[in-house]
Amino acid sequence: MIKVEHLSKRYRKTLAVDDLEFEVRPGVVTGFLGPNGSGKSTTMRIILGLDHPTSGRATIKGQKYGEIADPLHVVGALLDAKAVHPGRSARSHLRALAASNRIAFRRVDDVLEFVGISAVADKRVGEYSLGMSQRLGIAAALLGDPEVLLFDEPVNGLDPEGIRWIRELFRSLASEGRTVFVSSHLMSEMAVSADQIVVIGRGRFITQGSLESLTANAQGFVYVRSGDPAQLLRALVARGAVASPVNDGALSVSGLTTDDVGRIAFASGVTLFELTPQRASLEEVFMELTADSVEYGSPGRPGE
Amino acid sequence: MSSEVTLRSAVRAEWIKFRSVRSTIVGVATTFVLTIGLGAVICFAVRSRWSSAGPLRQATFDPVTTSLGGTLFAQFAVGVIGALFITSEYSSGAIRSTLAAVPARGALVVAKLVVLVSSIFLVAQIACFGAFSLGQSIFSGVVPTASLSTGPVLLSVFLGGVYLTALTTLGFALGLILRHSAACISVFTSLLLILPIVTFLLPQSWQNAFAKFEPSTLGQSMMTPTAPANSLSAGPATLLLFVYVAFALGLGVTMLKRRDA
Repeated sequence: MIKVEHLSKRYRKTLAVDDLEFEVRPGVVTGFLGPNGSGKSTTMRIILGLDHPTSGRATIKGQKYGEIADPLHVVGALLDAKAVHPGRSARSHLRALAASNRIAFRRVDDVLEFVGISAVADKRVGEYSLGMSQRLGIAAALLGDPEVLLFDEPVNGLDPEGIRWIRELFRSLASEGRTVFVSSHLMSEMAVSADQIVVIGRGRFITQGSLESLTANAQGFVYVRSGDPAQLLRALVARGAVASPVNDGALSVSGLTTDDVGRIAFASGVTLFELTPQRASLEEVFMELTADSVEYGSPGRPGE
Repeated sequence: MSSEVTLRSAVRAEWIKFRSVRSTIVGVATTFVLTIGLGAVICFAVRSRWSSAGPLRQATFDPVTTSLGGTLFAQFAVGVIGALFITSEYSSGAIRSTLAAVPARGALVVAKLVVLVSSIFLVAQIACFGAFSLGQSIFSGVVPTASLSTGPVLLSVFLGGVYLTALTTLGFALGLILRHSAACISVFTSLLLILPIVTFLLPQSWQNAFAKFEPSTLGQSMMTPTAPANSLSAGPATLLLFVYVAFALGLGVTMLKRRDA
């Protein structure tokens, strides 16, 4: 549904998006994950035809955004909830959007009702809390009953009840066969709200997959507490493992299974007190993935 | 498909946006107050001092231009209306939802212009004809008056409204170029207030050469039935003002199309 091909965007000296390539499929909630400043918002603006890409392209159902004759009927987007004229009422804001795409005003009342701001629909938007603005932004995105929905950091500013509401909304939109693309810099948010995840860092594509596949492929490590950590560390490093001391004299070992660590400890005569495999949490997977991208982009790397 | 974005639907959307903010209402009210109200104040002042005015002053008196004196102030009100119609979208960020709804940027500008120009044209015509009529009734009996049954007089009052409409469009064009309300209003004010002052400081021969081409002088030429020395007549003045506005608009549209929103 959404296809990003060799997309790059340069702002003066910074390369905000660097040869990005991915696809977002209908029927599932796809998370768009990356640290702040990694190019998520820029990518979304390019998908919506607001920013011009330096090279490459982004298409929705095979069309560039600007080529869609009735854009709000095909794509709904929430970029910045506060991006509404503060002096205008929510109803007028939605009616103007509706008029531009020939959507009946009855639909405006329906979406206002649906997001739960009917009672304040005639108040000036400048008086809204961030949570109310988010709901208005979602109402605007749903206005044209679009097949494709984009949300940029939608949970920011929502209270816990609002967050739960929005997660359920994404699920139900996806279950209706729509394409739902949601950005966040919080892995924990993606873990509960997304089925598929596209990870980027420094404007570059890092990985894409289901939640399970991302955690399964991530490197776990082995927690090992022993009678002689120093001796064990030397033995492990000699076998090519990456190991580092953690608190209470234990070691954290990656690149080896628990079986390997046990055999090495036995061979070097070190007593083991505890040997535990640790599966990486989503948060750690994310840190690991994006740390690589930061390292990749940092200047003065040896050998460069 | 019946749901396609057309110029007509974009105009409807812009009309809703135009009338649903307080700044438009305040701007239009200010335009009326300045054109008609301040115009009346000017006319009263002229009437009360008429007997003490010199013969030369009396001989060169123009009841049309004088009654339209309020446009000199109202031009800033309409300029601000035009500028805010686009800069408020940038300051709030609403330009992104606007362009997401109407991605064709050229069409968006045309839609905004249709709404802005037709509304302000109507407002400005009512204001100018109101100011003229009120002014003549204030003058009546004491000061020479003019009548709309005279062709050139009718044209001057009509062009007063055209001038204000052109200036709201200029404000809008500057808004497209500069995108910031404050910057836009500064430049607009500089063109209309500071430029004449700068010209005034130049040697007389330069003044004679340049002053007649300034936007504010063009306005005076448009609203005067008989062109005074060293100024263009109404026709060429109107045309030149349109050229300025068209140039600014062309630049604005080009920048809107090229830049990221």
